[in-house]
Amino acid sequence: MSGHVTSLLPLAAAGALDPGEAFRVEAHLRECVVCRAEAAAWRDVAGELGRLPAPKPSRALVARTVEAVEERLAERAERAWNRAALGFLVAFAWTLAVLSWVVVDLVNGVLALRLERSVGSSAAWYAAYLGAGWLSAGAAAVLLGRRAREEGRIA
Amino acid sequence: MDPDRDDAGRLRRGDTSGLAGLMARHQDRLFRYLRRLLGDEAVAEDTFQQTWVQVAERIGRYDARRPFGPWLFAVARNLALDHLRRRRPESLDEGDEPMAAMGAEGDPLERAMESQRRARVAESVAGLAPLDREVLSLRFEEELALPQLALTLGVPVPTAKARLYRALSRLRERLLAAAPAEEWR
Repeated sequence: MSGHVTSLLPLAAAGALDPGEAFRVEAHLRECVVCRAEAAAWRDVAGELGRLPAPKPSRALVARTVEAVEERLAERAERAWNRAALGFLVAFAWTLAVLSWVVVDLVNGVLALRLERSVGSSAAWYAAYLGAGWLSAGAAAVLLGRRAREEGRIA
Repeated sequence: MDPDRDDAGRLRRGDTSGLAGLMARHQDRLFRYLRRLLGDEAVAEDTFQQTWVQVAERIGRYDARRPFGPWLFAVARNLALDHLRRRRPESLDEGDEPMAAMGAEGDPLERAMESQRRARVAESVAGLAPLDREVLSLRFEEELALPQLALTLGVPVPTAKARLYRALSRLRERLLAAAPAEEWR
């Protein structure tokens, strides 16, 4: 009789042998009563493992989980919407800043024509306009920073 | 059509009906796996919830060409192992003291012998190290073949095989220690 295959029997019971090993085990079991008994014991263990009591999630747990996921998805959707809205507003603000030069220059020219005297250089008016714009943008940046920090804590 | 793939697509678009489908198909398996791996009902419940929240958040990273189950289990596994490392950083490979058997069902007076035997197996499994419980659960309860088992554990097939062998051997040692007269001699 060839050598025992004891070390292969746990994996044989688990159905985890490769074909060569499985063939070797089968051939050996046909002629070895000791290993056959050992294989039966391992099959018992494996059988019991497949029949262990199966814990299931309670309905309450499933409901809580669905609620938690929905909450998180809603937060994510809101953050995405906020980001898109803020992106649009920033782009819109920059567009206005560029176009406003033309408007300031035009208004300055019309005023000068109406009043029939100079009302100051367009550049000075535009600088004042931009200054006000930058102050607003600074305030917005502070608010955005705070919001980002809050979101960071949530995520 | 693969229903998991469809539901994952819905969830990716923010439609929670996708989540309902995925949960209906996988929640029992997932909970059983987490319960077995973590060995504690309350922690398993927390991890179960965290797993689905992460699934919803990271569904964009799921490769729909692959089966959903192993990806789900990988998410759950990472969370569970993080918890176990925090709780007991020294080793995931050492057994606990035997815990009470989980939810033995039925009247113990009717099928007394069978219940007793089953309870003994459950106790012995519960006393194993988390990684041993995990590999046994994946093979015998989730019925994963060796390649899928290795994929879920994130190890090569020979390593998964070695873990399975080790877990079975340790389990039998415990069974023999608990009841030497029974037939798993």
